[in-house]
Amino acid sequence: MSKKSAFWLFLIGTVSSAVIFLGLTWDMHRQVAALSHADKLSDKVVAGKRTFEHYNCNDCHTILGFGGYYAPDLTRVEQRIGEDGIRYRLRHPELAFASSPRKMPQQHIPEGEIDNLVTFFTWVGGIENGDWPPQDSKNRLTRGEQRLVAGATVSPGAAVFQTKGCMNCHSLHGTGGTFGPALDTIGRQLTMEQIEHYVRDPKSVNPKAMMPPQKELSDRELEEVAKFLAKLK
Amino acid sequence: MEYRSQKIASWYFTIALLLFVLQVMMGLWLISNYVFTIPQEIVNVFPFATARAMHTNLLVLWMLLGFMGGTYYIVPEETGCDIWSPRLAWLQLIVLVATGVIALAGFAAGWTKGRPLLEIPPPLNYLVVAGALIFLFNVGMTMFKARRWTVIQGVLLGGLVFLALLYLAGIPFYRNEVIDWYYWWWVIHLWVEGAWELVTGAIMAFILMRLTGVDRQVVEKWLYVEIGLFMFTGIAGTGHHYYWIGAPTYWLWVGGIFSALEPLPILLMVIDTMTYVRHRKVQIANPHTWTLAVGCAVFHLIGAGVWGFAHTLPQINYYTHGSQVTVSHGHMAFFGAYALLNITVFYFAMPRLKGIEVYKPTLGKIGFWTMSSAMMLMGITFGIAGVLQSYLERVLGMGYMTAQSYMHLWMAVTLVLGVCFFAGVVITVIDLLFPKPAVKPGGA
Repeated sequence: MSKKSAFWLFLIGTVSSAVIFLGLTWDMHRQVAALSHADKLSDKVVAGKRTFEHYNCNDCHTILGFGGYYAPDLTRVEQRIGEDGIRYRLRHPELAFASSPRKMPQQHIPEGEIDNLVTFFTWVGGIENGDWPPQDSKNRLTRGEQRLVAGATVSPGAAVFQTKGCMNCHSLHGTGGTFGPALDTIGRQLTMEQIEHYVRDPKSVNPKAMMPPQKELSDRELEEVAKFLAKLK
Repeated sequence: MEYRSQKIASWYFTIALLLFVLQVMMGLWLISNYVFTIPQEIVNVFPFATARAMHTNLLVLWMLLGFMGGTYYIVPEETGCDIWSPRLAWLQLIVLVATGVIALAGFAAGWTKGRPLLEIPPPLNYLVVAGALIFLFNVGMTMFKARRWTVIQGVLLGGLVFLALLYLAGIPFYRNEVIDWYYWWWVIHLWVEGAWELVTGAIMAFILMRLTGVDRQVVEKWLYVEIGLFMFTGIAGTGHHYYWIGAPTYWLWVGGIFSALEPLPILLMVIDTMTYVRHRKVQIANPHTWTLAVGCAVFHLIGAGVWGFAHTLPQINYYTHGSQVTVSHGHMAFFGAYALLNITVFYFAMPRLKGIEVYKPTLGKIGFWTMSSAMMLMGITFGIAGVLQSYLERVLGMGYMTAQSYMHLWMAVTLVLGVCFFAGVVITVIDLLFPKPAVKPGGA
């Protein structure tokens, strides 16, 4: 090969790749509104994005998989822990992560900005991004959840446990959150009645309890979940 | 040293080396955050996020200063002319270092743009642009006035202009998170797998030509082939970052296919380097510089090529994306491709700028092998942690912190390796700042 043909190889390689890339960039701009539901991209979402950047959240957390790897991904955080879960962690990180080996800084974020952040996360959660991340994918239920769902037909309590947010803080067989204690053998310590009482009003049993009272559970749901947990021995 | 104006390069190198030490110290603090529980009071004032912003920005700053110093060293020799204005080169250095210092102090005080790696906030962005424009103007004027164009000069200047242009894509505020990440990668990916590779190709070609005495026509021909492949695979290969951001699904194909080819130009670079060394026409005065050049090419191939390929296909990337696997690749690739390139340039130029033609390589060897083995092992420990994370968190659906607890041991090993790496860096930096002439000048 001569130097001249090497030069042409360089030129053709660069130009062809650039043409493909820029062409697809143009097409991406045509499609992005639909894929990201830009119609729901309100000023409040944008304000939330600014808040997200102002507090440098992205250097500990990833979002869409990019950023710091020190803390959980936030793409589907609204679906995973719910609005209240987000608010609680933002207001009181020192309490929420008191027993966690990793802490989140208390940045005294004003309520209005917390509101914007929640709106932003809700919008990001709706982006059609190929069903990533896998751990939050509804189409690919994790094995731990599959086991629970399989059990739900025999135990409606397991279904309550899974769908009512208990797993945001508590875990079973390694699946779930780490804020609260793992409940793998909770039935050894508490009876069904004790569990029912505790879940309704944790502070009446333990004044230092951090678990919020579960007011939105119906009596039937509470009974079922207590029955399910009491059997875990 | 033939040109007085080359002297400016040694200031760029010295500052780059000090920033490198700071960067690694920040890295040790970051890994400590994984190994130990940092109390809430400390996290409130100096969170992981701030330290990470410093770690990554120091990396960018020291490497760019290294490239710029390298350019100021190479351009006079390539053009046969002194730098157009050494004063401007000084001004540029002051502007960039001042920007860096303000930016770091700003991060500590919570002043940030909040975009990973591009945390430098808008007013400072323009100072960076000003510094870059002074640099390009100065280098461009030197080349245009000399009118002795070589391919190496052209590729170097082209790479630097490309680099500066891409930086602009990271400055605006984008309302849509998807578009924000789309253009974020124009800076990050097209820098490290585009513009920086052009600069690297040119610098490497220059050093190998000088080191081995191989004919310029041969070196420049293969330089064209290398950068042609880099551009062909690298530009459209940006698509491997667009799999999961909400961009159209054809990026799975485009990104997968083009980025699977990305190791090829790096492989060619290794083959070229080996070939030049084998067919060298002059005796190599400083074998350690040669060790570094070959080490850089090989580590570049492992860190960027092999480690990059390992998780670039969408089927794999679905599970590894945004995990410690990325961290493993990031460390190995930056060290192999760009840290070692800079260190090669430093060892080529710094002793000579102090009038030492043949330097004593003892400390340099210890430093190089300590750094390289520690980084290789860190790539492996980060990688194991990443594979655990991918499997436990993404496949089995374990909670984030539960999965992290299984990775803890590997992060602790990484901390130990990080301390070893730091020791290697300190030895290398001391050796470079105070080079000693070889005991018997001219070699045995």
